[in-house]
This record gives sequence, C-alpha cells and structure tokens, in this order.
Amino acid sequence: MIELFDVSKQVPSGSETLTILHSLNLTIPDGQFVSIVGPSGSGKSTLLGLIAGLDAPTNGDIRIDGESIVSMNEDELARLRGKKIGFVFQSFHLIPSLTALENILVPLEIAGKADAIVRAQQLLEDVDLEARATHYPSQLSGGEQQRVAIARAFANDPSILLADEPTGNLDSYNGRHIIDLMVEIHQRRGATLLLVTHDHNLAERAERSISLSDGRVVRDKVRITSVPAEETDVAEVLQ
Amino acid sequence: MNFVMRMARREIRSSWKRLLFFFVCIGVGVGSIVALRSTLQNANSALVSQARLLLGADVQIDSTRVLDEATRAAISQVAQSPLVTGRTDTVEMPTMARPNDASEEGALLIELKAVGPEFPLYGDFTLTDGRHFNSQILEEHGAIVGQGLLDRLNLRVGNEVKIGNVVFQIRGVMNTDPGGSTGFRLGPRVFIARSAIEDTGLTGFGSRARYRVLLSTHEGSLDSLVTQLRSSLTNNLINIRTYKQSEENINEQYTRSENYLSLVGLVILVLGGIGIANVTRVFIEQKKKAIAVLKCLGATSSKITAVYIAQVIALGLAGSVFGILLAKLALFGVESYFADSLPANMNHALRTGTVIQGLMLGVLISLLFSALPLLRIRHIRPNMLLRNDETARTRKFDLVRWMTALLVIAGLVVVFSWQAGSLRIGAFFLGGVAIAGALLQLASLGLVWLVKRTRQVHSFAVRHAINSLHRPGNQTRVILMAVGLGAFLVIAVQSLQRNLLLEIDPANRGNLPNMYLIDIQKDQKVGVENLIEEAIGERPELIPTVRARIAAINGREIDLGSGEMRGDRGRLGREYIVTYRHLLEENETIIAGKMWEPTPAADPEVSIAEDMRGLQGLDVGSTMTLDIVGRKLTARVTSVRRVDWRRSRTGFMILFRPNVLDDAPTMYVGGLDGPVDDQSRSRLQRLIVEQYPNVSIIDVAEVLQLVTRLLRSVSLAVTFIGGFVFFSGTLILIGSIAMSKYQRTYEAALLKTLGATRRIVLTTVLAEYGLLGLIAGLIGSAAAVALSYTMARFVFEIPWELAPLVVGGGIAGTVVLVVAVGVLASVPVLRRKPLGVLRAP
Repeated sequence: MIELFDVSKQVPSGSETLTILHSLNLTIPDGQFVSIVGPSGSGKSTLLGLIAGLDAPTNGDIRIDGESIVSMNEDELARLRGKKIGFVFQSFHLIPSLTALENILVPLEIAGKADAIVRAQQLLEDVDLEARATHYPSQLSGGEQQRVAIARAFANDPSILLADEPTGNLDSYNGRHIIDLMVEIHQRRGATLLLVTHDHNLAERAERSISLSDGRVVRDKVRITSVPAEETDVAEVLQ
Repeated sequence: MNFVMRMARREIRSSWKRLLFFFVCIGVGVGSIVALRSTLQNANSALVSQARLLLGADVQIDSTRVLDEATRAAISQVAQSPLVTGRTDTVEMPTMARPNDASEEGALLIELKAVGPEFPLYGDFTLTDGRHFNSQILEEHGAIVGQGLLDRLNLRVGNEVKIGNVVFQIRGVMNTDPGGSTGFRLGPRVFIARSAIEDTGLTGFGSRARYRVLLSTHEGSLDSLVTQLRSSLTNNLINIRTYKQSEENINEQYTRSENYLSLVGLVILVLGGIGIANVTRVFIEQKKKAIAVLKCLGATSSKITAVYIAQVIALGLAGSVFGILLAKLALFGVESYFADSLPANMNHALRTGTVIQGLMLGVLISLLFSALPLLRIRHIRPNMLLRNDETARTRKFDLVRWMTALLVIAGLVVVFSWQAGSLRIGAFFLGGVAIAGALLQLASLGLVWLVKRTRQVHSFAVRHAINSLHRPGNQTRVILMAVGLGAFLVIAVQSLQRNLLLEIDPANRGNLPNMYLIDIQKDQKVGVENLIEEAIGERPELIPTVRARIAAINGREIDLGSGEMRGDRGRLGREYIVTYRHLLEENETIIAGKMWEPTPAADPEVSIAEDMRGLQGLDVGSTMTLDIVGRKLTARVTSVRRVDWRRSRTGFMILFRPNVLDDAPTMYVGGLDGPVDDQSRSRLQRLIVEQYPNVSIIDVAEVLQLVTRLLRSVSLAVTFIGGFVFFSGTLILIGSIAMSKYQRTYEAALLKTLGATRRIVLTTVLAEYGLLGLIAGLIGSAAAVALSYTMARFVFEIPWELAPLVVGGGIAGTVVLVVAVGVLASVPVLRRKPLGVLRAP
C-alpha cells in the first residue's frame, strides 16, 4: 500500500520558491491500477518521483507498505527500490553500454539473484525480444527500447510499478502495445501500477484516475469493476 | 561482488577506447621506473660481483707516501701469517709519456701503474691480441698500454715510449682495465713492472705516487685480517680498504641514483595520474545518467563506486603490464646500444622486485588520482531521470571529500617517500611537484583570463576559439598542465645545458690558462721558466706549493674513526696543497679577520677559504696543526677568504703567511697561456717533458673536451627523460581532445547548419589549438627560464644568459605539436555530415 500524508514539494526558482505539490493526501491500495493525468507542470512526474524515493518531499510523510520512506537515506531508498519498486521512464533510460539482456540483468544482479540470467531471458521472452538479446539500445527501435525497460522494471517482481509517460516518445501503435504489455503484466503479477499520462483514453483504462492541476488533486475517479465509473468529489474521498 | 565485477567488465568493454590514452600514460611512467630500476640494479649486482676484481684483491693498503721501514715491516709480518694467501705491491701515479723516437711529436698525461709479479691477485685480463695478461710481458722494460695512448701519440705495439728517464717497449694493448676504478680519468693507463718504477726517477721527492699493497685472504678471514692490519698499522696516513667496502660504496651509490632517477619516472606517472583524475571526472560526468539509472534500479552509491574502482584497478593494472612490456623493450635497447658503457657480464633482465613495484605503483597512482572524482557518484541523484534540470546544489562542507583528500595526500607522500627511499626527500619532492603544478595552473588560469578579456577580436574563428577555452567540460587546464610541464622540462634542460657549455667553453673563460704545469721541483723552477719564456716569449708565474694534511684543530688530534669527525671525513682526511704569499688574488676577498702585513711574522699564520670555516669549529682565532711530510706545524687562523673559484687560475683552501714555509719541501705549479693550436701546444709539452720528465702537464683543452662530452651525454639522458615527459604530455593531450570529441562534433555540425564552411570550422580548430599551444609554450618556457636561471646561479654558480633560440624554438615546437594533434583529432569532426550528428541521440 502507498500512503501520502500532507505531502508537499517546493523548489527554489531564482530568488523565489516554487510550489510544485500542495499538501497532498493519497492512499493507493495494493494491486490497483491508477492513472495520473494533468497538464504539463501540474506535478505528475514529481508525485511519481516522490513515491519512488527519487526525490524527498519538502513536508509530509510517504509510506510504502506502512514504512516511512521520508527518513531513509539514499542507500536505504535504493535498496527499497531494488526490492519493491519498478520504474518505466518516458525516455526509456536504458544504459547505452549494455545489451538488452544485460540491461535486464542489472537489477537482478544488484539484488544478488542466483538465477539472474535465466530470469532475464524469461523476461525478454515475455516482451517478445529474445531475438534482440545481444543488441545495444542504439540498435533497437523506440518501442523495443521501452519493452526492454518494462522487462527491466519487472525484473525483481516489484509490488509497485511506476510509469512516467511511458508512451510519450512512441507512435500510437507502439504506445498501445506498451500499455497492453504493462497492464497484462500488472494483472498477471498483481502489482500496483501507477501510470502518469497525457492521454485521456489511456487514463480511462485504469481502475482509478487522479487528475492534478497546479500541484493539487482536482479529481479522483474510481472505476470499480463491473460497476460503471463513478465520479467522486475530492473532498469525499479524503473524508 | 558479482554485480560489481560484471558491471565493471561490461563498462570497460564499451569505454576502454576512451580511457586508453590515460592508461598508456600509466604504462609509460611504470615502464620508465621499472626499466631504470632494473638497469641500475643489474649494473649494481654486476659491479658488486666484480668488486673484488675491480680492487684486484681482498684488502688494499694505500698511502700517498713511500711506506716507511716500520710500516713495511708491520705489513710483511702480517703478510707472512697464514691469514694471507697472496700479496702484490703496486705504485700508481699520473705522469707524462712521450714517444722515444725524437722525430715523433707529442707528450701525453697518463696514469702509470707499476705492478708486482703476482698482479692481479684476482681475475684475469686479456690483451687485444687475445693473450692473457702475465707479468712476464712487463719484464725488461715492457709496457701494456690503453688504446688511447697509441691513438694520441701515433704509436703501434712494438714502438717505444719514454716515461721519466726510462724507455719502455709497448708489448700489448689492454682490453679491459683490471684494478681500475670507474669514473673520470685524466689519461690512458699504462702498466709497467713494479721493479722498473724506481729507474724512471719519478718516485723521488714531490712525486704524486700512491703506494699500494694488495693482499688476498681465505674466504671468511677478511675481518680478522683487517683487524690485524688496523692494530699493527697505526699510522694515520695509511688507508685500509676492503672489497666489501667497495661493494657497500657501490651499493650506496647505486641505490641513491636509482631512487633519484625513479623520482623522474614518478613525475611521469603523476602526470599520468593527473590525466586519470581528469578522465575520471569527465567519464563520471558522461556516465551520470547510467549511474542515476543504477540508483533507480536499487544500486547503492557504494556499490556503484565499487564498480568504477574495479575499472580503475583493472585499467591501472593493464597500464602497468603494458609499462612492464615497455620496460622489457627498453632493456633490449639498453643491451643493444649501451652495453659498452655498462659493466661487463651485466644481466639485462627485468628484476622481479621492480616488476612488482611497478604493478603496485601503477595501481596505486590510478586509485589515488581517481579517488576524488569518483566521490561525485554519491551526489548523482536518480531524480535527474525525471527532470532534466540540474539545480546546482549549495555546496556544504563535505567531510568525506576532505577526509579522502587527506588520505590521497598521505598516500602520495607514502608513494614518493617509498620511491625516494626517504620520507624527507619524498615529501620535499612531492611538495616541489605540487608547487610547480599549482604555479602552472595559476599561470594558465591567468593567461586564459587575459585571453578572455580580448573578446573584441574581429575574426569569428579566433573569437569562437577563445570561447572554446571556457566551454563547459573544457580540457583547457589539463592540456595546459600536461603540455606545459613537458615543454617546461625539455626547454629547461636545453637552456641549462647551453649555459653550462658556454661556461666551460674556453672562448668564454678569458683569463684562464690552457695548460697547467705541476710537480716542478725547486731546482727546476728557473729552468722551466726560462724554457717557456724562450718558447712562447712570456715568463710563466710559478707558484710554490707544499703538501699538507690536517693533524689537529684547536689542539684536538684528528681521529677519522671517531663519531663526530666521521661526517667530515672527506675534508679532514684529504691532502691539501697549500701556498704562501702576502697579497690577495684578484678573485679573493676577506670575509672575516684581517689579511697579514707584507712583513714576516714570528708565529705561523694561515688564512682559510670560506668552505673550511666551521670544520670542527675552525674560524678566525682557531689553531690548526698541519703535518707537512712528517713535520708538524701549528698555525693560527687570522682570516677567512671567499674565493671565486671560477675566476681563479689556481685556488688554495689554505694560505700561509710567507717565511714559515720557506724550508718546507716545495713544488711549483703554474698556469700557462700556451699556443692555441693543438700541434704547437703538444710540441711545447714535449719540449718541457724532454728536459724535465717528472713535470706533468694538464692540457686544459683536452680536459674540457672530456667534460663537454660527459656533459653532452648527461644532458642527452636528461633530455631523453624530459622527452618522455613530453611524450606523456602529448598522450594526455590526445586523450583530452578525444574526451571532448562528441561535444566538438555536435558544435561543428551546428556551425555547419548555421552556414559555416569547413574552412571556417577548420580555422576555429586551428585557432583554438594554436592558442592552447601558445599558452602552454609560454608557461612552460617561462618556468624553464626561471628554473635554468636558478640552477645556473645558485647550484652551478655560473653566469646565466637567455637562450632565445632554445626558448623560441620550444614555444614554436609546442604550438606546432598541439595544433598538429588538435587538427588530426578533428578530421573526423570536419568530415561528418551535420544531419547524422544532430539526429544522434
């Protein structure tokens, strides 16, 4: 479970302070598929980064499975990510000096998994890229690179998968394919999936859709399976 | 650990090309240290194993005077004991040799060695015709000579040569020189029989003969023999030396030069280290994203740092192994080109100890210099993957960084001290390198700043080049440091050499004589003066000299064995040539006390040279007892003189007030402005020796030629090492340019897109590297001028003058080199089509 209590984020901007997120409260139960939407600069990526421990909030507390991550140091955060959190970026961020297979191997090796190579090959098969195992990122198309990134994100079987506009750099065909893949794995493994996106159609596929604007949650819509999507006021949810 | 090793392997696989140059630098540094140390250690062990052969005996008893009856009896008594297995007596002296045939010209200073029938007690030496040396060859006035004598006097084996009053037949030419010390020699060596020496008439009064008794003993009895000799021979004028002492001396000398020379190798290694620090910094900068990704995937900072440390160790090790291969090659070179000037039987293999040392040094230097740049890994935050902005974090006091810096400095002190063989020299040298580096940096920053002020340049290319010196991630400082240091060393050595050569060039020495006459006896003085006046029309000034040893200072007898006097052994134990006069020479000034009046005094008075002041408390008012051929004379020091040795025709450490030494056994010496052309000078020398065979003549021109040759080969060696530094600098230059290649390719593509022709882009490149070369050359030559001036004035104490050709050539050479490397490295940049570059990720 992911819990945010009064989380805010401010950054210095010249001589002034810019508030990116205003006091935010949020609870995301295990296994939920949540989309986060909003215009550019609304704080979507910042929110994702805070949950992943890639950045620290200015105020408030963030808990992952009941454990506060705010007081953790860089190394503890890194270990937490290695164990529980997978991340997919808009610009893939594969390590250019490693082959596709090696990129997937890295998190397994960091975690010290004994069967790393077998698992990495399996993951590569899961994303249909076993034929590209020895190719370097520069030799792969954008869609292929993102599939490698997804395989890498799922390598350690994380309970949380965070995706920051994963289709932002892809054409619509490839974009759809990537989302299908993520949703499929999310369903198969029962991981929580947080997806930041501009694409409303994409957002509609999630069980829950959170809209951000100017660093505030302006809408939190939960669509319960088999029950038609229902709009809730932010105030109600918070209560 | 698995992860660390695997990641390191993968990273090296993709980036080794970028790191190559810097580890070549490590290789060159390690190579020079391993080669130097191996060669010197090999030469050392060859010489040590030959120490007994060089001495020709186990023990040598040495005296500058004829051994008196008591001493001879004491030696004979010991020699007859079962301890001694062999004995031979020798007499050695410098003297003149001349062809016996009056129609042949020339006379030559030689080192005469008269040997007994048992010589040599150890070893064996051969003649050029293949015969083994045998004392029978010397019987009935035979001589074996060095090749130099034949060459210089135009003689052949079978010809006759006159030494003193005796004619010797040349019976052979020696191949190697047994029982000869290494080092400076005034003339070729000539062997004659011990029994013939008295006939020559050269051993009489005033001769500078050394009388030696050589003994051999059983294995293991050396110490008891020496103890017995020391207890029987209490005479202070006798020196007992064993081959073990020679071994120790050789060891000591070699270890010292080995340590000094390897410091030069260390400078090259440190230069490589600076390159490594730079490449690590840029490398980490380029790998920032990958590091952020790793952190995102759960890797801790220490794990990632370990990945890079593993790479540094692997490449440091690879560089060192490469260096060892280079050293192996260098040793091949030494064997093929320098074998003649190195000890015979010398081994030319790498020494295991130095190889291990080289490996350790390579890895250590790599680690020490990459430590600080690697700390940056801690500060790379994974959220840079989400946000591309990198807000500059406010710099807080970083304890880890400071601790690491201190550790690195401590590590360097350890490495330098280890290599120098002394903490003090190591720390001093490191300090010197650091200060030199800091000054170079400061100067380059200053010059770059100055250049920046001149932005109003009309030319686009030059303006752009100036901006390039400041572009983010620029390599300006590293290039200036590496190239500047290389240029500095090469130019400094060259200009110092020029000044030294100028100084010893007789053409620049004005009033100095070109010949010295020594060993003129009192009754020969007028004859010699007349002879020379007749020959060259000028009467020489002959100076009376007396040979003396210090027997006591302030009433305390000299005991060279005692602890407090051991440090002054050199100055206390030597023989002094003293003179007397009542006037100061032009090149002398009194710095303490008062010069005596020209009138005779009742009590003996002396004036000492500044260099002797403080010797066992010696100063104005002290007393000094001198032993003059057995007669003790105590004199009071009344003044201290400063002598400008460079301007002196003759110089004396001890000067007596006239009268006291009138009866002492006196010999005359004198400088002489003989004929300038070699042939007439040689004829004059022959004329003097023909009439006065005991007089020795030192031909200054010949000595100077010898010194010049020596100096040239020393400076060749230093230039070679300087060249090595320059080479390392060039490697760093190439590497630094390669590091910023991507950025420059991108920039060139943009410029082309904006309408710049290839010519403009090329001009920009030319201007940029021209500027860099110019600044590096200026800094290097300025530092070189400063160093050569300091060395000339304060170490060699010679006048200094600017060598504009060397300095100008040095600057021009640096510019050409940097521009050439820069342009060559930029060819691919110029060739690439802009679209491909701009599209690349």
